[in-house]
Amino acid sequence: MLSAPMQTRVHALRRLRELGGGSFAVEVDGPIPATLPGQFYMLRTEKRWPVLLPRPFSLYDRAADGSWGSFLVKGVGEGTRAILDLAPGEGLVLNGPLGQPFPRDIDNPICVAGGVGLAPFLLLAREYKAQGRNLRLLFGGRNRAALSGLEDVEPVARVFASTDDGSHGFHGMVTALLDDLIARGEVKAGEVVFCCGPDPMMHAVAALCEKRGLRCFLSLETYMACGYGVCNGCTVKVQGPRFKGWPYSRTCMEGPVYEACELVH
Amino acid sequence: MLKTSLGTLLLDNPILSASGTFGSGWEGRMFSDLAQVGALVSKTVTVHPRPGNPPPRIWETASGMLNSIGLENKGADYFLAESLPKMQQLANGGRGPRIIINIGGESIDEFVQLAERFSAAGVDALEVNLSCPNVQEGRLLFSTEPRLTEQALRAVKRVATVPVFAKLSPNVTDITEIARAAEQGGADGITAINTLIGMAIDWRKQRPILGRGIGGLSGPAIKPVALRMVYECARTVKIPILGVGGVRSATDVLDFVCAGASAVQIGTAQFTDPALMVRLKDELRTLLTEARMTIAELRGSAHRPAAIPTAKPTAACAVATPEVKG
Ligand SMILES: Cc1cc2nc3c(=O)[nH]c(=O)nc-3n(C[C@H](O)[C@H](O)[C@H](O)COP(=O)(O)OP(=O)(O)OC[C@H]3O[C@@H](n4cnc5c(N)ncnc54)[C@H](O)[C@@H]3O)c2cc1C
Ligand SMILES: Cc1cc2nc3c(=O)[nH]c(=O)nc-3n(C[C@H](O)[C@H](O)[C@H](O)COP(=O)(O)O)c2cc1C
Ligand code: FES
Repeated sequence: MLSAPMQTRVHALRRLRELGGGSFAVEVDGPIPATLPGQFYMLRTEKRWPVLLPRPFSLYDRAADGSWGSFLVKGVGEGTRAILDLAPGEGLVLNGPLGQPFPRDIDNPICVAGGVGLAPFLLLAREYKAQGRNLRLLFGGRNRAALSGLEDVEPVARVFASTDDGSHGFHGMVTALLDDLIARGEVKAGEVVFCCGPDPMMHAVAALCEKRGLRCFLSLETYMACGYGVCNGCTVKVQGPRFKGWPYSRTCMEGPVYEACELVH
Repeated sequence: MLKTSLGTLLLDNPILSASGTFGSGWEGRMFSDLAQVGALVSKTVTVHPRPGNPPPRIWETASGMLNSIGLENKGADYFLAESLPKMQQLANGGRGPRIIINIGGESIDEFVQLAERFSAAGVDALEVNLSCPNVQEGRLLFSTEPRLTEQALRAVKRVATVPVFAKLSPNVTDITEIARAAEQGGADGITAINTLIGMAIDWRKQRPILGRGIGGLSGPAIKPVALRMVYECARTVKIPILGVGGVRSATDVLDFVCAGASAVQIGTAQFTDPALMVRLKDELRTLLTEARMTIAELRGSAHRPAAIPTAKPTAACAVATPEVKG
């Protein structure tokens, strides 16, 4: 038999931990396989799934022994709301880990998160913490409530928060905060940025990095159908040697993390 | 109990993957033991590489999805060198699934080239994707013209050394005309149906959502249409039919078998559950064991006049029931 033991499994919900701003940490029973920061899972509820396709989510947190894991989920539509309507003990079907993580060989990246774009960075921060280092994390939102998960990352990373309305941390967009840190010499040209958040924010961060001479990796949120490489529905336009001249790349396989210069708009 | 035949192609069970929804099976091997699947159908292979359509390419709709992938594939040379060996590894010298290659041509000549090359490569069967534009005929789709369908099948059959199935499009006035043309062209079977053309619009942006504007609808939403078309084709042609469209349960599979299908392909539902094909095969066995039936016995049974009433009317009921005329 050629099949490997990758499974779509039903995991029981442990609890929903409210993080504010309409977001929750959805904690499920393990076993959660070893997962690298930036990899994702396709999720659907076992019962009463109101839509057809499963939905992609980064793994937010994981017990060191895999005995539980969690996803940072914001209710934005039917699928996410069905996940947040689950009661403890009910089943969530997981398929993963899928996709490629953030690069593993960057010494000390600067992470930039917007909203639920925080999700992949908690595991990364924990990884650094375990090596006795503090990951720099810029975390932006509209207001304090939108910084869902701030309390989770603060103990494990060096967090610079920003809010558009000034209700917490730096007053302004996260790009302005990044520029400010560059001006103050906290962040230097040649350093590497990992970014995850809404599209307009990622565009802005990528543009700023290009201007200031920083390398920039983006974790994209594209629509997906299968999440495991068979439908070719999740493609983005790309360039660069990694793609051997082919103009499109499947975000669920070669992504969701791309270097900004690989993406063609 | 589950055995079925598509002309000379014998299958252990009637569950196949639908073209374009399971890659070449290689990614899917991670999720279930594909040796338990009747056959794998490749995504459409074209002579030349095709980059496909601009994103976004997919959009979920009520009980279905739209796609405009645009037959993205790296062409026949690449497929023969890279993908086919993997499919053959899954086929495991006949112990695994049969291998069916779906071919797409923009001319009769391209279909012939593909049929020759894949026959020579030792695949088990070919599926001709007729939803391709014919460049010599003003980009008219093969699938919409009985004449073009028949020409394509006849040309492919002349060179193919393995069974050839014609994959029909539902986007026609009368699918039976096309089915008949395929049969006349020598097709060994018919696959019905491909996706129904549709679209989605974002009124806030006042733009179509898909990069190409329109796309093909698939998933549970199209099952009744697919079932009707399989039923109609079964009345029209004698060659076996592969039913496809919206299947996601063993019951769906048996509905298609009753409509006249000899085998059934699973498409969109595999996105929701990558191990679905094997699960359906197991569920089929359970359902058929309970019903004490085989696939062969059920095939086309919905066409037979109801010989045995399901329940005998009571005397009172028989009196009260008015006679039905016509
Ligand atoms: C690799 C990856 C990782 C992700 N990680 C997380 C995460 O950790 N936490 C989280 O809350 N969300 C994450 N998302 C986004 C999440 O998948 C979508 O919010 C979800 O699919 C919406 O489903 P729905 O049925 O609730 O919404 P729908 O009813 O389908 O849509 C509601 C709204 O959400 C938008 N939307 C739908 N699907 C996506 C999508 N795939 N990406 C972005 N926007 C979408 C739609 O445009 C619409 O405005 C991730 C997406 C990807 C591709
Ligand atoms: C993403 C996607 C890609 C597809 N690609 C192809 C293809 O390359 N060739 C083809 O003949 N049919 C293709 N189809 C059509 C399917 O094989 C099938 O006929 C159709 O989706 C209906 O079945 P379903 O409802 O089970 O998905 C594709 C369908 C989908 C959803
Ligand atoms: S979501 Fe299907 S190939 Fe990426």
